[in-house]
Amino acid sequence: MDTPASAGRLTPAPPATVAFRHLTALWVQITGTFCNLQCVHCINASGPREPWLAPLAADTARRYIAEAAALGVKEIYFTGGEPFLHAEILDLLAFSLERAPTTVLTNGTLIDDAMADALAALAAGARYSLEIRVSLDDPDAERNDAIRGPGAFRRALAAITRLDARGMLPILTATEIDGRGAAPGEDRYGRLRALLLEAGVRKPRVKMLPVFPVGRMAGQGGGVVTAEMLAGADPARLQCTESRAVATGGVYVCPILSGFPQARMAGATLAETLVPNRLDHPACRVCWETGSSCRNA
Amino acid sequence: MTTVAEPRRFRRIAVFGGVYANAHALAATLDDVGRRDVDAVFCLGDLGGFGPHPDRVFPLLRDGRVRAIQGNYDAAIALGHDDCGCGYTDPRDNHYARLSYAYTVARTSSEHRRWMGALPAHRRLRLGDAEALLCHGSPRAIAEFLWESTTPDGLVARLLDDARAQVILCTHSGIKWHRRLADGRHLVNVGVIGRPENDGTPRVWYTLLTMDRGSHGELDVEFVPVHYDHETLAGEMEAEALPPEFVETVRTGWWTTCLEVLPGRERARGRF
Repeated sequence: MDTPASAGRLTPAPPATVAFRHLTALWVQITGTFCNLQCVHCINASGPREPWLAPLAADTARRYIAEAAALGVKEIYFTGGEPFLHAEILDLLAFSLERAPTTVLTNGTLIDDAMADALAALAAGARYSLEIRVSLDDPDAERNDAIRGPGAFRRALAAITRLDARGMLPILTATEIDGRGAAPGEDRYGRLRALLLEAGVRKPRVKMLPVFPVGRMAGQGGGVVTAEMLAGADPARLQCTESRAVATGGVYVCPILSGFPQARMAGATLAETLVPNRLDHPACRVCWETGSSCRNA
Repeated sequence: MTTVAEPRRFRRIAVFGGVYANAHALAATLDDVGRRDVDAVFCLGDLGGFGPHPDRVFPLLRDGRVRAIQGNYDAAIALGHDDCGCGYTDPRDNHYARLSYAYTVARTSSEHRRWMGALPAHRRLRLGDAEALLCHGSPRAIAEFLWESTTPDGLVARLLDDARAQVILCTHSGIKWHRRLADGRHLVNVGVIGRPENDGTPRVWYTLLTMDRGSHGELDVEFVPVHYDHETLAGEMEAEALPPEFVETVRTGWWTTCLEVLPGRERARGRF
């Protein structure tokens, strides 16, 4: 029997397959889905209680980072969950920075003065850039905390100013989450930038990301990407042509789908996973349509 | 993608990128190069954008016998793209980029557009015994930024392996740097001559590369500062109503716009 969604339609076009180009970024989902916050739009439904994906063993992380460096990777990213919940995070960052520029995506809540000092010392002594990306979704504290939890705004901003005071130039990272009191078409980028300037940050850096229909936002839009959509377009718009993510369970196709069993690539080594993949997840359409990169720039 | 191979072997070459319609800096650079006993002069692309009167750089390039490759800005202008394709997030940056692009498109003759459209993507040459690849952003992507703090040795080795070269010369980012790997191979970002490099002085930079018989196969890389009449350029930009933020950069040497592409370490060195 036809369901309403398929009634009267021809067979939908199958998802496209894209070639892998080169390894630009390796994402390390170091804490799995273990986080001290529980944001409403989290792409992998991270939280403090019974995380569905276990933290990554430090030795596994080191092995993949070393392999990525040997393959000519350009950047390493640490994500989670909340990376600063990992007991060995500073050692792992030092290991990574010896090999490649490294970025941490954090909610900022665990960056106190001592951690800010440690990160600044690590950055000053490193050969390559250490970047800290602090998530904060709305320049209005109340609206931000409705998304990210009570106190999240104050603690994230405190982390940004602590790092900034030590010359680290952290990147405020916000999602384009709508429908929570934000005026349509508002210049969220401009307002976030103004927030930083007001907080005394003289070189404000803001990174915007779309909301992906995955994790706590699963089922909210998106769709597969077909071969017809890809025709004549630049494959560099798709991160799966130049990124892989390592998490408990193995190597995954991209940072957005990291840890999900259906996004796991076959292969025991990173090199074996640098092969074509299918654009068959609803999040693929958002990546394709926005052309937005999870990387810093 | 086209690659032009230079038939002869060179001892010393001068290389620069990012002219950005700065005819004054180009003239001063070529003047300086003329006193340096070089075998050839190369430009790694991005002839327009930022500065005034884009058509003025082409006769200088022709008279100076500069061998050029295509930058992303040249490709966009030649192919008639809607914008420069930088895709900034900051609406302010996009505003300036659009203004500058529209200005450059409207004032670049069809003859010069065709000339830019015919430029090769890469050039290969022999510098002494070393094989060198000349590209705009990186050998694998015309608009890839190679900054010093975010280009690991492993990536440099990979790019050199893939290019089958001992030396890669690139530009695009706007700040010069040089990496010599432990195995003696090199990547040199030659910098740009159209805009100062965010160091608080109005000077610009080009690069001299020398492989002398006496140097035992070791490449000598020298970054050469060029002082030019930046005040005249600034006045022309004002007369053409180009963004005051661009003029400020010409006068002060600090970048004022399009800062989001800078890694933290490079950004920290600037004023904004």
